Amino acid sequence: MATVTISKAERSYIQTSLQAKPPLRADGRALLDYRTVLLETGVAPLANGSAKLNIGKTSGEGGGGTEILAATKLEVEDIENGEGVEGGRISCSVTCSPSAYPHISSNALDDLQYDYTTILQQTLSHPTLHPPNLGILPKKRSWLLSLDLVVVSDSGNVFDALFMAARAALWDTKVPRTRPVQYRANPSGRSSGDNMQVDQENDQETTSGFDTRQMAATAADFELPDYWDEGETLGGREKWPVCVTLNILPPVHFLDANVHEEASVPLRLLLAFSFPPNSSANLQAMRLLGPGELDLAQMKSLIAYGQKYAKDLFTALEVKLREEDTRRNVKARTRFAAR
Amino acid sequence: MSSRIEILNDGGYRSDGRRQYELRDITIDLTPQGTADGSASITHGLTQVSVSIFGPREAKQRSQTLHDRAILNVEVNVLPFSTGDRRRRGRSDRRILELAASIKSTFEPVVQTSLYPRSQIDIFVSVLQQDGGLLQACINATTLALASAGVPMFDFVCAVSGGVHSAAPLLDLTTLEENDLPHVTVAVMPRTKKVTLVTLETRLHVDRFADIFRLACDAGQTIHAEMRRAVKERTRTLVAAMGAGPRAGPGEHMDRDVVMDDTIIDY
Repeated sequence: MATVTISKAERSYIQTSLQAKPPLRADGRALLDYRTVLLETGVAPLANGSAKLNIGKTSGEGGGGTEILAATKLEVEDIENGEGVEGGRISCSVTCSPSAYPHISSNALDDLQYDYTTILQQTLSHPTLHPPNLGILPKKRSWLLSLDLVVVSDSGNVFDALFMAARAALWDTKVPRTRPVQYRANPSGRSSGDNMQVDQENDQETTSGFDTRQMAATAADFELPDYWDEGETLGGREKWPVCVTLNILPPVHFLDANVHEEASVPLRLLLAFSFPPNSSANLQAMRLLGPGELDLAQMKSLIAYGQKYAKDLFTALEVKLREEDTRRNVKARTRFAAR
Repeated sequence: MSSRIEILNDGGYRSDGRRQYELRDITIDLTPQGTADGSASITHGLTQVSVSIFGPREAKQRSQTLHDRAILNVEVNVLPFSTGDRRRRGRSDRRILELAASIKSTFEPVVQTSLYPRSQIDIFVSVLQQDGGLLQACINATTLALASAGVPMFDFVCAVSGGVHSAAPLLDLTTLEENDLPHVTVAVMPRTKKVTLVTLETRLHVDRFADIFRLACDAGQTIHAEMRRAVKERTRTLVAAMGAGPRAGPGEHMDRDVVMDDTIIDY
C-alpha cells in the first residue's frame, strides 16, 4: 500500500506533532477537519452520470489535491444468453492514472487499482444497496451499470474521495426510460398493400402491435421513448454510502490525512456508512489497514465516532449534490426554453 | 449507418456545420494538475486529452537509461468512458501501444534529450473524451505540457489530421468523418517547417496526398499560433503573479523583472 516512503525522522516528527497538545498538522488543520472538497457533476458528456471530485486543491491557480473522476455507463445485457442478471447488476472498476503515482512501477499500480476496485465493488454491489430500476424486461433484458473511477492524482485520503465521487456519479446517473414492445403477427394473415386502410372497428379487435398496456412477461423487446430529459434517476440514490477513514495513532485519531500522515500512522480504519432516509444508519463496509492493532472496546468507540463523522460528511455531500442538481436542471431548462 | 451521413453537402458544409478547411474549437488549459512538473489539457471540439510530464528525473529502471541522452517514456491511458460504447483498454492494448509509440517517435527528435544524460522524461497521456483526431490532440497536448514543464525543445510540434472526400480535402476530422474517409495525421515543426510525423492508415491517391499534406502543413501553422498564444498567456499570468507577491530577494532584482516582462510582451 505504501505509495510514498518517508524517513524515520519525518515519521516521528509527524507522529509527535499529532500527539502534542494541542495537536499540530502541517497545514494547520484540527484533527477532524477536512481539506476543501470540490465537486462537480456531469463532467463526462458520453456517460450516464459523472462527477469530478477534488480534496485539498491549493487555492488559486495551483494544482495538487486528491482528484477523482467517476462516471457511470449503462449497457443492455441479455439475461437468457448473455451475462445479464435479473434486475441488473453493478460493476465497479478503479483505474489509477500513472501520473497520480509517478514513482511506483506499473505492476504495483495494477495491484493498487485492484485493491481499490475490490473494496468499491464489494461495498457498492451489495444487495442492500441495489437500485430497483435496473431491470428492463423480466427474464430477458437488464442494465449493466458500470462505474468507472479514475484516480487522477493522489495526495492522501483516496478512499473517502473514491466513495464520495462514486456516490456523486451514481446520484447523477440517469436511467433511460424504456417501454416494452411486443410483436404480434397480424391474425388475418394478409400482408398485401390494401392492408393500409384500416378502419376503426377492425382496429379494436386486433390490437396494435405496439400496444404496451399489458407489459407482461411476453414482451420481446423494448424501445426508448423520446423524452426531454435523459431518463429517471437511479432508484434509492439516497442510500449510496459515504466512507470515512479514521487514521489511528493511539491515543488520537484524525481524518483526511495527506500522504505523509498516511505513511506515518500505524493503523487506518475505513468505515462506509449508508444513511437511508427514515431509518437508522447502516455500516456497509469496514476495513482495517496497516500493521497496528486495536482492542475491541476501542473499536466500538471508533465506530461510533466514525458514524458521527460520516453523518456530517453525508449531510454536506447531500447539500452539494442537491445544489448541483438544481444548477444543472436550471441550466437544462433555460437551454430548452431558449431553443 | 454511414450512408445516411453526408460528409460534405452541396453547400460545402460538413456534418458538424464546418467548412472544408475549418478547424474545430481549440481550448488549451495549462494549469498544473496534481504533482506533475508540467501539464496541459487540450480540446479539439469534443476530443479532450490531458498530459502530465514528470522529469527529467532518475529512471525507475536504471537498466533502461542511456549514457548520452534522456529517454522518453510515454504511457497512454484511455478512460473507459471516453467513447460512446464503454470499452476497457488495458495498458498492453495494441492500439494504445501504437499511439504511445507514435507520440514517442514524434518527440524524440524534438526534445533536446542530450542535455539530460542517464535520465528519463515521463509523458503520461490520458484521453478524457474522443471524437476523432486523437493522435493530433495527444501530440499537441504533449508539446504544451513539455513546454510548461520547462523541458527544452527545438520547436513546437503541431499536429493536425486531414482527410479526402472524393476529391475535396478536409481538415480536423471528427469520428464520423474518420470512419468514412482516408485520413492522414501530420505533425509539423512550424519554425523550421520540418515534418516529424506523417501517418496514413488507408489508401490515398498520390496526387490527393500532396494536396492534403500541403494543407495540413499550413493548418499546423494556425494551430501553432493558437498554442503559442496560450503559452504566452500562461507565462504572462505567472509573471504577474510573481510581481504581485512579496519580493523574496533584495531590491536590485526589480530591474530584471521589468525587462523580463517587456520581452514577453514584445515576443
